[in-house]
Amino acid sequence: MKCVILAAGEGKRVHPLTYTRPKVMLPIANKPILEWNLKNAIDAGFKEFIFVVAYKSEMVRNYFGNGDKWGIKIGYINQGQALGTAHAIGMVEKFVNDFIVLSGDTIFGKQEIKAIAKNKNCIGIIKAENLKDYGTVEIKDKNILKIHEKMENPVTNIINAGIYHFDKKIFDYIRKTKKSIRGEYEITDSINMMLNDISLVSILLKEWKDIVYPWHLLDANEEILKKIVKKIKGNIEKNTTIKGNVVIGKNTTIRAGAYIEGPVIIGENSKIGPNCYIRPYTSIGNNCHVGNACEVKNSIIMDGTNVPHQNYVGDSILGQYCNLGAGTKVANLRLDKKNITILLNGEKVDTKRRKLGIIMGDNVQTGINSMMNVGTCVGNNVFLGPGVVLSGEIQPFSKFL
Amino acid sequence: MCGIIGYIGFRNAKEVGIDCLKRLEYRGYDSAGISVIDKIQQVYKEVGEIKELEKKLPDIKGNISINHTRWATTGGVTKENAHPHLSTNKKIAIVHNGIIENFRKLKEQLIAKGYKFTSQTDSEVLAHLIEDNYKGDLEKAVFNALKQVEGYYAIVVTSSDEPDKIVGARKDSPLVIGVGDNENFLASDIPAFLKYTNRVIYLNDGELCSLTDKDVKVFDSNNNVVERNEDIIKWDFKDAEKSGFPHFMLKEIFDQKDTVAYVLRGRISEIDRKIEFHEKVENLLKSELDFINIVACGTSYYAGLVGKYLIEKLTGISVVVDLASEYRYFGPKKENSFVILITQSGETLDTLAALKEAKASGCKTLVITNVIGSSATRLSDSYVLTQSGPEIGVAATKTFTAQVITLFLIGLKIAFNQNKIGFDEVSKNILELKELPKIVRDALEKSPTILEIAKQIKHAKSVFFIGRGINYPLALEGALKLKEISYIHAEGFAAGELKHGPFALLTETTPVVAIATKDSTYDKILANIGEVKARGPTVLAIADDADTEIEKHADLVLRYTSHSELLSCIPIIVILQLLAYHVANLNGCSIDKPRNLAKSVTVE
Repeated sequence: MKCVILAAGEGKRVHPLTYTRPKVMLPIANKPILEWNLKNAIDAGFKEFIFVVAYKSEMVRNYFGNGDKWGIKIGYINQGQALGTAHAIGMVEKFVNDFIVLSGDTIFGKQEIKAIAKNKNCIGIIKAENLKDYGTVEIKDKNILKIHEKMENPVTNIINAGIYHFDKKIFDYIRKTKKSIRGEYEITDSINMMLNDISLVSILLKEWKDIVYPWHLLDANEEILKKIVKKIKGNIEKNTTIKGNVVIGKNTTIRAGAYIEGPVIIGENSKIGPNCYIRPYTSIGNNCHVGNACEVKNSIIMDGTNVPHQNYVGDSILGQYCNLGAGTKVANLRLDKKNITILLNGEKVDTKRRKLGIIMGDNVQTGINSMMNVGTCVGNNVFLGPGVVLSGEIQPFSKFL
Repeated sequence: MCGIIGYIGFRNAKEVGIDCLKRLEYRGYDSAGISVIDKIQQVYKEVGEIKELEKKLPDIKGNISINHTRWATTGGVTKENAHPHLSTNKKIAIVHNGIIENFRKLKEQLIAKGYKFTSQTDSEVLAHLIEDNYKGDLEKAVFNALKQVEGYYAIVVTSSDEPDKIVGARKDSPLVIGVGDNENFLASDIPAFLKYTNRVIYLNDGELCSLTDKDVKVFDSNNNVVERNEDIIKWDFKDAEKSGFPHFMLKEIFDQKDTVAYVLRGRISEIDRKIEFHEKVENLLKSELDFINIVACGTSYYAGLVGKYLIEKLTGISVVVDLASEYRYFGPKKENSFVILITQSGETLDTLAALKEAKASGCKTLVITNVIGSSATRLSDSYVLTQSGPEIGVAATKTFTAQVITLFLIGLKIAFNQNKIGFDEVSKNILELKELPKIVRDALEKSPTILEIAKQIKHAKSVFFIGRGINYPLALEGALKLKEISYIHAEGFAAGELKHGPFALLTETTPVVAIATKDSTYDKILANIGEVKARGPTVLAIADDADTEIEKHADLVLRYTSHSELLSCIPIIVILQLLAYHVANLNGCSIDKPRNLAKSVTVE
């Protein structure tokens, strides 16, 4: 049985991080989302994979190659255009018989994938709270009655998790699927048609993490870091404090005076300290630098990024190859303690978080003593001069002097 | 220029083919066609844009197709002349971009062998020739057929006897392989398939390739398999029409390394040492000419002024250049006099009106245009196409150089007809023309240096361009380019005219661009530079690469390579275009669509 992973999407709602990478390549605990799914699917017994790719596909291909590194086989299909899930799944018709398919930007647990693989013609479902964001599923005795589109007053509290087990018959219905109101070929439409002729079973999932907005990466990061086990390969100088479960990659140096409170993961070839404070639920990538008098808390710092001198970064995501100037600080709490809202693609979104710092794209450089307010979205390749104060949504390649 | 596509893979080949073809529409759109193998070759063609073809297409299954969008050069715009062309047994289908120079000879031989032709194109010859060489292996058949062909080509071939294979080859026309997963592509240009894959293999001149849905094989000119690495295209498919350039104008400036050769296609014969035009044009140029009138607007007018120097130098015939908007109302239009009208779009209203006036007065009219089937080509006695492909940036670049080269060819032809020059002289000029792509490439490589110089003049309020002789209209064109896209006031002057007035405007902050070629007035232009320098402005000189004197006079020097006195105008104008582009880009101007300007001016 083959495992098809949908990895074509750009993920516009995860801008600015997805200006420079496909959504499935966003890192959680220093591994792309797609790798977590791949590992879980491998653990569930899959050996042959098809990745349906499109947006910045070379990044997926360069990272995963033909799968040798994981001892499996990966084939690729380029979707060409993002025309919806039915279109994406339709791409693999010539290459599969009995198969499971899952969205690569949602993390499914190993047991979940196993359960789906075991049952023919089934759909993964999940009980959820923010029902307005999802299509809901009507079921009776485990059998699917209908999948609904997103609606104002959902009829159930069960949602479609985005993982399916199909055989060749699905393609007959995909071919018959018409474009939906939002202009895409939706697999849910194909499934509803299929339900007239063939019954589908629902499988209730437990471990499931969906990434819709950038700050969901922080939630997913936290969940995965909770499970890590202490493993230190780097060089630790004297007079450092490492508490709890901390993973430190090879060739990474922890210098004197560093105080690291797990769970924290730090990649390879990074330099930490001297005299810095790294707090729980922080992921720091490869070739990073966290220097003197810096504090990092509950954040994702991607490869090659420096937080070098007198910086505070809290509840934030920093893209690759960013450099913070001395004294650059990030606010992560509104003094009136209200929920933090964020401007994303020009739209205001309530993050439902009381603490959130910034979302910063790749290759950003900040000047000394520049500051960013809560919920600032900084596009890639932005350039800030000394003392600049930023808030709101900053377009890529902007310059503030 | 035409666009060609080949597809083999798991998708519906008709849909992919049409989709890719739309991205090549910029290469031509007078007719289009497709052939999908579904047991037999299913060929559909239509005159007009690709969407006309798309409307007429039924549902066709099949996972292998070849596709073509045409910009006619040989044979009129008809359904029969549209590609793909089928071989006589209807098993082999080809699409072709380029020119088969020895097609008449090949056609006669093939007809004698019993092959049946259905079109007037040179391309059809390839289909029958491949059938003639076919012995069960398409690659070998294409390889052997191409050995007999003289000319330029990019071709894509399929055979219904081998429906799992697609063969491509190129010589002096573009063809790129797109490497996908369980599918592969061939196209004239990367944007065609970029949506489906960004992995490409560049096919070199004289190479042949064979694709299945799983692999790609490349063969060199001796039919040996060669290993090729894939390149990853970094630019986004949204930027694809600009081939990765930030603006159409810059793309079109860079296109000139190819378009200076495209304009020569079918017109020069190195072996016969001859310049050839369409019969109607030939007849016109054969007639007794003692005076030539060139009429045009804007950049085309400046091309006309450059042409005046070239034609006068080559033929000794006097040439008068008029603005179309003036000529249509004023000035004598003598019966039987020869009028050349230049218009990129063929739709410029003033030029069309001038054409009508000239025709009404009994003048013999010749149009130089880039668009076949345009009003100008239909109204005039004859026309010559600049064969540069559509130009999208409002500021004309590649069509200017093509117009100048066309006028040069016309001058050569007239000079030859009137026994002013002989075969040797023609041959020498042909060799110099063939050097142009390299010379233009050298000029384009200067782009980073030009950018540095642009930084020094981007804040200027006013820039002067000066030159003598042929460099005077170049100065005018250089000034026009700068002002139209950067909004900086710029004026071109004949260098000798400076002291008759314009000097009054010269201040220390007015940069002066001086074109100094090593011609008979070289000392004079040095003297002019001296006069300018004495008043304080920065002087940027454009000089040839062997000039060691110029540094002593100018503050900044940009160099071009050229061995021909007359054709040095081509690299010089490329440098001036790049200068204007970089200044405008540094100032954040809307380069492809300058304010208040339109590409084709169809109002008075």
